[in-house]
Amino acid sequence: MAKVTLGGMEIEIDEDGFIQEPDKWNKEVAEDLAKVEQAYPMGEDHWKLVNYLRDYYLKYEIAPPIRMLVKQTGIDLKTIYQLFPGGPAKGACKVAGLPKPTGCV
Amino acid sequence: MKIEDISKKTGQLVRIEPEDLMPLPYPYDDPANDPVMKEVTQDQKDRYEASLDGILAIGIPKPASREEEERLVRQFLSGLEKLLSQENNWTFLQPLLHSLDYCVKCQICNDSCPAYIASGKKEIYRPTYRPEILRRIINKYIKKRGGLLSRLTGSDIELNWTLVARLAELAYRCTICRKCAQVCPLGVDNGLISHEIRKIFSQEMGIAPRELHEMGTVQQLKAGSSTGITPKALGNIVEFMEEELEEKTGKKIKIPVDKEGADILLIHNAGEFLSWPENTEAFAIIFDAAGISWTLASDLVGYDAVNYGVWYDDIQLARIAVKHAEIARKLKVKKINVGECGHAHKAMIVVADRVLTGELNVPRESAIPILADLVLRDRIRLDPGRNDFPVTLHDPCNMVRLMGIVEPQRQILRKICLQFREMEPRGVDNYCCGGGSGFAIMQSMNFPDWRSAVSGRIKLKQVLDAFRDVISPDIRKYVCAPCSNCKGQFRDLFNYYNVNEKCGIFYGGLVELVVNAMVDVEKPFIDWEWH
Repeated sequence: MAKVTLGGMEIEIDEDGFIQEPDKWNKEVAEDLAKVEQAYPMGEDHWKLVNYLRDYYLKYEIAPPIRMLVKQTGIDLKTIYQLFPGGPAKGACKVAGLPKPTGCV
Repeated sequence: MKIEDISKKTGQLVRIEPEDLMPLPYPYDDPANDPVMKEVTQDQKDRYEASLDGILAIGIPKPASREEEERLVRQFLSGLEKLLSQENNWTFLQPLLHSLDYCVKCQICNDSCPAYIASGKKEIYRPTYRPEILRRIINKYIKKRGGLLSRLTGSDIELNWTLVARLAELAYRCTICRKCAQVCPLGVDNGLISHEIRKIFSQEMGIAPRELHEMGTVQQLKAGSSTGITPKALGNIVEFMEEELEEKTGKKIKIPVDKEGADILLIHNAGEFLSWPENTEAFAIIFDAAGISWTLASDLVGYDAVNYGVWYDDIQLARIAVKHAEIARKLKVKKINVGECGHAHKAMIVVADRVLTGELNVPRESAIPILADLVLRDRIRLDPGRNDFPVTLHDPCNMVRLMGIVEPQRQILRKICLQFREMEPRGVDNYCCGGGSGFAIMQSMNFPDWRSAVSGRIKLKQVLDAFRDVISPDIRKYVCAPCSNCKGQFRDLFNYYNVNEKCGIFYGGLVELVVNAMVDVEKPFIDWEWH
């Protein structure tokens, strides 16, 4: 595990760049993560996805099913890949400050 | 390369060059177009033991001192001694000793190993290489048969930290598909030896891939699922699936949860809920249409059939197996049926037999034969014309080779798919998807590249060969993989090679095809965008 500067703060990340201190997440941290994920500058749809993921995570402590994300945001899978080239799990979840998805997903 | 080279401190033992890899058929027949496998960073090489092949499956931190190295080597030896004792390894001692004692090194197993063949026959991946290291360590350091004789007969080995660290990584270059055991005339199981080596590292030294242990079995026992799904989140997801069911079928279909006294407790791999909910929804549609009495469970662990302990740690395996059985008893169901998850089949139905005795010995079966029964006896109305596209079948190793569930899924596909074609070899002779034994969920550093380019390579070849005559991207094709783990591997493998765009090949489970053929479901169930 290494520490990097994101949004002007020292934050611990795992080997694949997911932040390990979810409480430190804010808008600036997200934008710095988006730069790594080739999802910068972040437009309205980027934020729609990130905010949905973030809110779901705070409520249920996991990322939602991808189909739920698509349905609730109205942004289809293809567009998600265009917005976050890493995809919904490795790209959008990382920018939203969620831990790396685990299990057989 | 010799066996004893594993101990030599010569830097990286093996390098995998793109031109070494097994050739692939069209449209991947130009090796220059093979994706370049990611190298770990210099910083990661400095921090982790990467001297086997430059790939990091576990990422063992480098010991800080010589003393630390020596302590770890002593621990390894103590773990190995326990592995060879009845008291500490009553679960697997007999097949382990058999496999150690009876291999005559005829090497007939070599061509059955997906990693060995696809790598261009790298010596370290040979299915007999790993076991021979273990055998020599046992002879010299435990049976004390070393000395002059072993040096003269060329069977010497030096046990040091370099060997131990490389052996740990090497235990995670075998998918434990057990095709080598299938072809061995003496029943030697070199896959089991990989499993036993992993046990030494986990049970005695606390060394295991983070995805399997900390985020896997530990998280499953604590939060309820290796995906992190808690009972509260499950409730939300079930609600979501019921909404989807109504949209897709036009009917209100209830997904029963914690229904006491149901005939069947259906346990899915919880990865389905997050990544492939169409699979769990399809089960609900079929069981509802056939009037089956069934339920899901919402107790911790009860909604996740996986048991990653089966890959690396008997103690974790037992803890999870007992939970599954206790929940079935609590709900007073007649039996547990496991959904489309190969490793859960192995862990819960086969291996758990060593642990679940007396009242805990709840009947545990695969869901696949039930499906075959419903389809073949016309308990649901089906129109194969709805599945008029090329379909091939992948055989999950644990369901098929280990358990012999070969025909039911084929009987289904023959009845509901107009263009079903087999891949070769198939059935119990199949090749692993390349994601077995935990690989499909090990997503860190450069390991995912290795399992696409190397361990999954022969499966990609099989799929391309099966669809050779319809390879154009304009023709949509479906690889039926009735196993969550295999599906995850197909998804990553197909992305790595851009198979979807180049060849129009999609993947998915078995029940989705069944529902897609159901006359009572008006709209097509398969939504290609999601496969």
